[in-house]
Amino acid sequence: MRILALEFPPVSHLFDWPTIWFDGTPLAVNKTVLIYLAATAATMVLFGLAGRTRESLVPVGVQHVAESGVNFIENSVVMQTIGPDGKRFMPFLTSMFFFILFSNITEVIPFIQFPANSRMAIPITLALLVWVIYNVVGVKSQGVFGYLKNSLFPPGVPKVLYVIVTPIELVSTFVVRPFSLAIRLWANMVAGHLLLVTFAILTATLWDFFYVPAALPFLMLIAMTAFEILVSVLQAFIFTILTAVYIGGSMHPEH
Amino acid sequence: MARTTLRLLAALGVAAAALAVAAGPAWAAGETIGGCVIEQVHYVEAEYGSLDALDKKALEKFEDDLEGCVEAPSPILPELDEIIWGGLAFVILFAFMWWKGFPAVKRAMDARSEKIRADLDAADTAKADAMRTKSEYEAQLADAKTAAAAIIDEARVQADQLRQDLQARAETDIAEQRSRAAADIESSRRQAIDDLRGEVAAIAVGAAERVVGASLDADVHRSLIDGYIDDVAGAGTNGTNGNGG
Repeated sequence: MRILALEFPPVSHLFDWPTIWFDGTPLAVNKTVLIYLAATAATMVLFGLAGRTRESLVPVGVQHVAESGVNFIENSVVMQTIGPDGKRFMPFLTSMFFFILFSNITEVIPFIQFPANSRMAIPITLALLVWVIYNVVGVKSQGVFGYLKNSLFPPGVPKVLYVIVTPIELVSTFVVRPFSLAIRLWANMVAGHLLLVTFAILTATLWDFFYVPAALPFLMLIAMTAFEILVSVLQAFIFTILTAVYIGGSMHPEH
Repeated sequence: MARTTLRLLAALGVAAAALAVAAGPAWAAGETIGGCVIEQVHYVEAEYGSLDALDKKALEKFEDDLEGCVEAPSPILPELDEIIWGGLAFVILFAFMWWKGFPAVKRAMDARSEKIRADLDAADTAKADAMRTKSEYEAQLADAKTAAAAIIDEARVQADQLRQDLQARAETDIAEQRSRAAADIESSRRQAIDDLRGEVAAIAVGAAERVVGASLDADVHRSLIDGYIDDVAGAGTNGTNGNGG
């Protein structure tokens, strides 16, 4: 489509990649799938190498990256939201953080330049998985009735307000949460990708006419690329810490 | 500072160059509407020879395919193939992390923490040992100083005792020597008196013989002279004692 003399591709064409293998089957492979697989492989290689590295007093290289990630998840996510009980969720939360991070960061990697989480598949899949986990944890920790009671009738609220609060909590806890979790991640990555594409097209188009004005959108492209690195990390962190908050709320309703 | 700035500028330059070279694929995702239409036309021409050869059913399908080129897929609806692959990828990752990846890294971290803790404990123990050894050395040093002071005091006492003994012995020796000297003097005096008495007697006898000739007996003269000398000596002694008294 043409906007102000700029030829923009349709928005959907920025995200819908053609099939590479197994076209027409439920196992069709496209660029998004390849990024998911690469994110899995990268995380496995990172932790595999870090686990094989000889013990040293000062960790370096991949060992440093992996251990920093584990420390970060443990101290800034689990201990802040769940407490020591939450350490058994460390493998799950660590996997989730690195998987989302590596799926996001491809947005700024040259020749890939596409965040896989700007597709809804993984955000909604992980969000539904989180929904299942925190509900199961809540039922196991408090029992079915205790969990429903604490979720729908929060303690400390005047009883008359339950008329308003309970329906809100019902929708919020059991319906909206997974979708808000998924859409937050998805929308941020979509917006970031659109921003980068916009400045890239602007730069390319201006470059065809005048070299000098192209510098401005190009500088913005560099700045937004740096910003998207931050967004990629931040969104992985937010998804992970909200997951921990939901699990912690199910385990310890008094908090 | 300047080195860091240069590195940052170099990194910025590399990033900018990478972006400039690789920006194309950013919006090259998927197919364009025109490309899709052309692809459909090529497909029909390959299958049927020309568009005119399409029957009604094939034409309807062709129209649906062309509309499919224009229709934008909903960006918010997840694709089944991506859910399957993405879900499978995450399950594999989680299984690996739960089974091996996370425990290995965590084990290494715990081992390091344990090593650091053990090293700190060992350092504390070594420090305590060093402090204890230092205390022992200080105690031994204090004991040695006390012993040295005692030895010095004892030596001083012994030296005083020795000095007093030597002094007493010297005084005794001096007294003995003095009394012995006095005795010797007395003995010499007596000997001198005896010798003098003999010589004086001989001289007196000789002189008397010369005066009175040979009339006098020598033995008588001697007894007379001895008596005289004794009188003189007794008078001398009495006179001395009298002076001293």
